[in-house]
Amino acid sequence: MTRRRLKLNTSVQGRQAIWGWVFVIPALAFFSLFAFYPIGNAVYMGFHRKSVLSLRPPQFVGLQNYLDLFNSPAFWNAWKATTIFTLGTFIPLVVFSLLLAVLIVSRKRFQRFFQVTLYSPAVVPGVVAALVWMLMLDPRGLANQWVNFVLGTPGIDHRWLASASMVRLSTMVVYFWGYLGFFTIIYIAGLGGIPATLKEAARIDGANALQEFRYVTLPLLTPTTLLVSVMSMIFCMRTFSTQYMFTQAGAPTEPINVVTLFIFNTAIRDHQLGMASAMSILLLLVMFFFATLQFLASRRAAG
Amino acid sequence: MARTFTTLLFVACMLASSALAQTEIVYWTHEDVNRTELETRLIAEFELDNPGITVRRVTHPSANLAQLLLTAFAAGRGPDVFNDTIANQYPYIVNERVAPVDPAAVGAASLDEVYARYLDGTLDPVTFGGNLYGLPLEVTNWVIFINKNVFEDVGLDAEVDYPKTWEEMMEISEQLVIRDGEILQRRGFDFRYPWYLEWLVPMVEQLGGELVSADGEAIVNDEAWLRVLSYMREWGPHGRNLGSPTYRNARALFNFDNNDIAMTHTGQYQIARIQADNPEFYDSGQLLIVPFPRWEDAVNDQGAAYYGHYFMVNAQSNAETQRAAWQLIGYFAEHAEEYFATSALVQPTHELLASPAYRDHPFSEVFAADMATARSVYYGDNSPRIQQLLKDAVEAVMLQNREPADVLPTLREGVSRALRGDF
Repeated sequence: MTRRRLKLNTSVQGRQAIWGWVFVIPALAFFSLFAFYPIGNAVYMGFHRKSVLSLRPPQFVGLQNYLDLFNSPAFWNAWKATTIFTLGTFIPLVVFSLLLAVLIVSRKRFQRFFQVTLYSPAVVPGVVAALVWMLMLDPRGLANQWVNFVLGTPGIDHRWLASASMVRLSTMVVYFWGYLGFFTIIYIAGLGGIPATLKEAARIDGANALQEFRYVTLPLLTPTTLLVSVMSMIFCMRTFSTQYMFTQAGAPTEPINVVTLFIFNTAIRDHQLGMASAMSILLLLVMFFFATLQFLASRRAAG
Repeated sequence: MARTFTTLLFVACMLASSALAQTEIVYWTHEDVNRTELETRLIAEFELDNPGITVRRVTHPSANLAQLLLTAFAAGRGPDVFNDTIANQYPYIVNERVAPVDPAAVGAASLDEVYARYLDGTLDPVTFGGNLYGLPLEVTNWVIFINKNVFEDVGLDAEVDYPKTWEEMMEISEQLVIRDGEILQRRGFDFRYPWYLEWLVPMVEQLGGELVSADGEAIVNDEAWLRVLSYMREWGPHGRNLGSPTYRNARALFNFDNNDIAMTHTGQYQIARIQADNPEFYDSGQLLIVPFPRWEDAVNDQGAAYYGHYFMVNAQSNAETQRAAWQLIGYFAEHAEEYFATSALVQPTHELLASPAYRDHPFSEVFAADMATARSVYYGDNSPRIQQLLKDAVEAVMLQNREPADVLPTLREGVSRALRGDF
């Protein structure tokens, strides 16, 4: 009797496993086709010289593309631009989205309204957002008018798209605006998962609001903070459309020539597919390294 | 028996349907309202004359066309027929991605006859290895378009006071400009910034400099280059603040006569666009077109570079489609005069240039006289990259206030690398 029941169980589990695979296979196929295959292809192309337009087979050059990259000042400038942008954007994103989430959750009314308002820029495609911001950052646009009104400095051109530091700041502002709501919503979801009983216990123990946030909310939000910081960092390192649109509108390329834009220009403008692939692989490795580092750091903090 | 009959009938139907099958030509081009109207009609006529051929015309914004073409060709899915500027198209020739002209399909007895139809030199950019790879949709050069209203606003007579030299251009622009503090509300003149091969290089050449010498040396004559880069620095926000790449494209504003730009530089096609966008301004007689300025001490009397947009045929299309595509292009070329009448696009055939329609068109003589002095725009496998290097150099002096003498070595190094094909 027992043996028969066991057999039946195994059979049900087996069937469930099969159905599990049936449901997972489309996603695996999708990822294989649209993520793993391009990555594999980029690894292969990174060792070859190939013009985008050429029909000739790629020419194997070993590590030459990587050596050329490491000897290229433009390549290091791209990393400098990416680092400045990432640090200047992802840290404020993590901090302000957390603060806004706490603020919204603490409100008794208009929570939904604040959530929808904050999230709305996230549904605007990056190119459209960049176009709207370009109109505002035009020397005769709203940005100069508004800042000059607030600061009482009529007629000053703040050169949002012209000077190196201002164009960097402008790209950060556009990105910050676009993603603040998105990460705030993630934090709000994380805050919703913290049991109210723990906060009540802290308050009964005499904790004030700041102590409750510091010793109860923040530690319990560690997984959410990890998710937000990894996602925002990776998003920032992959930034492209704002920088692309700004350079098309006349902004200087060098200060905002982030790695993704550099990859795009190397492939599309210079036609050097092998070199662009090598750069993509390096970007992937760097993103992977930092994401792993963050996971390890958070695990240690949690431990 | 019945089964055999059915099979035979099925095979016969298949053969008949394949015999009636249409050859579809996919044609990608940039947006141009005037030309769209004309080509839609021409395509309809062409399809009527050639029942086996259908044409799908797809337009893209001109700013995106080059990228879309490149990615499509890289994926082996390029259109059968396309056009772009020669600086972008030349790599397609070098990489054997376009098919040579089929003289019979374009209605010529031989290739020599095709060459004989066009003004000397205008097919040079599409001639490679003894083959001809394109026919011009247009060949144009840029001259100065002036809104006389703005000149009158500051008490100038555009007919007399228009800028003949680059030095005068700066002084007159200073008179025309309206600023709110540092912010330009009206510009006198401003350049078409991303297109440096078309106007910046000719400015250097007027002073005796060269982008690439005959023996392949990059950035010849430092004095000429430094002079032009210094001029651009002086033009920008760190100098006399007369214009900047970050302001809205002057050419796009010009047509609307909104008192925000007095002068721009552009090609003959702009006349038709002004006519379409703002007929009141066009009919007002307040449009003046004058030659591309020269330096006071220019050593070469030279206008802006002329460049072409060429019709090309995808070499990966099958032979039948290629032939049909050249037939279509030949049909377009037969209507050069209509292209000119509706869109002011110059397909430089001897027939068109000798026609009253061309000669009597407003300001044709200005374009023709400047074209006679002009050199072709630089084209090569690396021209998009060189265009970017020029952009970087101009932005460095204009927007980042860097010394031209510091920027020039970087430009030379970049162009030299591009010419060698190095990263």
